[in-house]
Amino acid sequence: MKRSYIGVIILAAILMMNLVFTQYMVHQYYYENYVNVLIFGGLNIVLFPLAVFAYKKTINMRA
Amino acid sequence: MSDKNKKIPFNEDNYTHNIERNNERRLDRRGFMKTLVGAAGVFAVSSLPWGAVAAKELMGLAEKEYPHKKITDVSRLPVGDAVEFKFPGEHDDAILIRLSENKYAAYQNACTHLRCPVFWVKDQGEMICPCHHGKFDVETGAPTAGPPRRPLPEIQVKVENGAIYAVRVKRYEA
Ligand code: FES
Repeated sequence: MKRSYIGVIILAAILMMNLVFTQYMVHQYYYENYVNVLIFGGLNIVLFPLAVFAYKKTINMRA
Repeated sequence: MSDKNKKIPFNEDNYTHNIERNNERRLDRRGFMKTLVGAAGVFAVSSLPWGAVAAKELMGLAEKEYPHKKITDVSRLPVGDAVEFKFPGEHDDAILIRLSENKYAAYQNACTHLRCPVFWVKDQGEMICPCHHGKFDVETGAPTAGPPRRPLPEIQVKVENGAIYAVRVKRYEA
């Protein structure tokens, strides 16, 4: 049975964004731009429900 | 025997859905996606402390003045030499360099790359990080070579009655 890999691709993209945001957040912390830290920390947190959602949406997809 | 056979027996969307199959150790697509979701969760949770500390900093709770701390006596630090001390906390390594008769420079010496201790090389007139050969300008704390991109946090010092005191850590603008 043929699988759809769109979910894997979306999740990999989310993980990539996680990495970028985390790195950015940590750097902004040391630069003492605390507002940016909050923004990117928030984005990181938002990505998790998004990932769950993407998983649920795509797990039973067939292509 | 109505539509019993058409039913899917159970929803197998759980962590052990492939536990008793052939190739159960194989990471299938579903397991891989779960790992990815889990990783996103770990990222989300690990963002929390950073956010908390940043929020605290924003609300000015961390703006406290530290008690002045004596580093050393002027007479015990010849020109061109350096001494290490802790400021403001017990675990915050710092370094004081006597540049000339009345000129001192003090920095928190955890390298801004990966936090190795930066030390003072007298005959090269540079501050050097041993880990990846980062270099810092002794006058300003700015990185001059190697991987570090941010300046070392400067510590204000004052001289009083022949002793050198650490006053506070300067905030720097990026
Ligand atoms: S830790 Fe100092 S250069 Fe890498």
